[in-house]
Amino acid sequence: MTTAVADAHAAEDHDDHGAPAGIKRWLFSTNHKDIGTMYLIFSLVMFFTGGAMAMVIRSELAVPGLQFVHPEFFNSMTTMHALIMVFGAVMPAFVGLANWMIPLMIGAPDMALPRMNNWSFWILPVAFGILLSTLLMPGGGPAGGWTMYPPLILQTGDAFPFLIFSVHLMGISSIMGSINVIVTIINMRAPDMTLLKMPMFVWTWLITAYLLIAVMPVLAGAVTMLLTDQFFGTSFFLAAGGGDPVMFQHIFWFFGHPEVYIMILPAFGVVSEIIPTFSRKPLFGHDSMVYAASCIAFLSFIVWAHHMFTVGMPLTGQLFFMFATMLIAVPTGVKIFNWVATMWRGSMTFETPMLFSLAFVFLFTIGGFSGLMLAIQPADVQYHDTYFVVAHFHYVLVPGSVFAIMAGAYYWLPKWTGHMYNEKLGKLHFWASTIFVNITFFPQHFLGLAGMPRRIPDYSVQFADFNLISSVGAIGFGLSQLLFVLVILTAWKGAKATDRVWEGSHGLEWTVPSPAPWHTFTTPPKARIAGESFE
Amino acid sequence: MDELERKKNIRRTTLIVVAVALAFYVGFIMMGVMRS
Repeated sequence: MTTAVADAHAAEDHDDHGAPAGIKRWLFSTNHKDIGTMYLIFSLVMFFTGGAMAMVIRSELAVPGLQFVHPEFFNSMTTMHALIMVFGAVMPAFVGLANWMIPLMIGAPDMALPRMNNWSFWILPVAFGILLSTLLMPGGGPAGGWTMYPPLILQTGDAFPFLIFSVHLMGISSIMGSINVIVTIINMRAPDMTLLKMPMFVWTWLITAYLLIAVMPVLAGAVTMLLTDQFFGTSFFLAAGGGDPVMFQHIFWFFGHPEVYIMILPAFGVVSEIIPTFSRKPLFGHDSMVYAASCIAFLSFIVWAHHMFTVGMPLTGQLFFMFATMLIAVPTGVKIFNWVATMWRGSMTFETPMLFSLAFVFLFTIGGFSGLMLAIQPADVQYHDTYFVVAHFHYVLVPGSVFAIMAGAYYWLPKWTGHMYNEKLGKLHFWASTIFVNITFFPQHFLGLAGMPRRIPDYSVQFADFNLISSVGAIGFGLSQLLFVLVILTAWKGAKATDRVWEGSHGLEWTVPSPAPWHTFTTPPKARIAGESFE
Repeated sequence: MDELERKKNIRRTTLIVVAVALAFYVGFIMMGVMRS
């Protein structure tokens, strides 16, 4: 690591101009670290906004009957909660991690297109400002579900064009962000860092960025057609005019299923960085992890219609989409195996990032198994649109994606702030989150199997007990996240972090000082690859 | 790789990726046009 350290410090010496002061630093920033920080803060704000909506949903569902909100507003809450969590919390959080860490990991001075990076971020607050403003419009916010199926979504009031515009903006932001990631990784790597020497987080983000480039324009196309159906007299999806509403579902899920992997592949990357560090071993089967992630990405394009089994399709279609979906378990299994094999006989310690990563491996696997159950077409006819599906995708997204984001935040926080966070508080946050997330979502499996439908503000009394347990868990989980805010707010009070931070850490990002200087790697470092230091 | 060549490569990669994104956007709308 000596050469890289020397280069990094040399880069710091060249840093003759620091960050600008005041609001201009953030408004006009082209620095990948500042933009990464803004993405992460924005996603945290959206996480609590979407979380507040989840509290409304779970409070209403705590007991049978209508308690607090009008059913139309309840539908609006489920729709907005999903849109905000998917596009406002999870995706920007991973883009924030990518902005901060990819240039540091590949030895680049910044992202390849820094001005576009600024645009990618600043479009987001506008998009979500517009989306949230629809709650105050005549007719209320969009309430047709995040999938925006026509003809239901076309019944939205004044909010409709604003919904479409905000989805377009979110898409543009994501596409610009992914262009930047691809161009940076392809062109800005340190001279001797070949593709297969790249850290797993960089690899998973490269694959994710290609997925984004392929599918976000598809979503944009779908909502553009919705807009023209509503305002310009076309009939893409209107049966009365000769259109086909099912076509929207095909197009939407051609975007929607890869979108699931857009939210989980970077999580795989984060966990693949953390587990080796705290096992003090190199990642088992680095190359096979790359191939597995690529396989998952490819398969994600050919399974979309498993979301539409109950719509009706030819038997051959059912069989194809069922088996193709099941096939995803193979590369995913490779990844789980490799993480376990990395830990095997390692000198493991259990700091907060490792705890979140371990919980990720266990709980994401539960979400994967229920996904396999849903892949079975005849069974899906029963499970479809029940709380079983809600339990499944929340297991994938909360103890899956969100836990990986938390793990990454704890892992890299000392590198960002230059101080160690409060480990006791971090562990408390972890245990509270893990216990409450299971109390929230595990009973929803039983509710779904018993037949409780999704997206309803009221339900039959036989579902009462599990719903109450789920609501108590949700409020506990929501409150637990305040601990994370406390950890961040007190992060600057901890002991000074070393450059390497963690005993078992490896890779270029740990060769720069903590906190990482405003400019790093202005001179390309001699890349020492992940794993080499163990040889 | 000198700075000029790197900039040229960055521009080329950007244009390719933008073209792919636009192709998906226009392509799927055209598919809708053909079917409706």
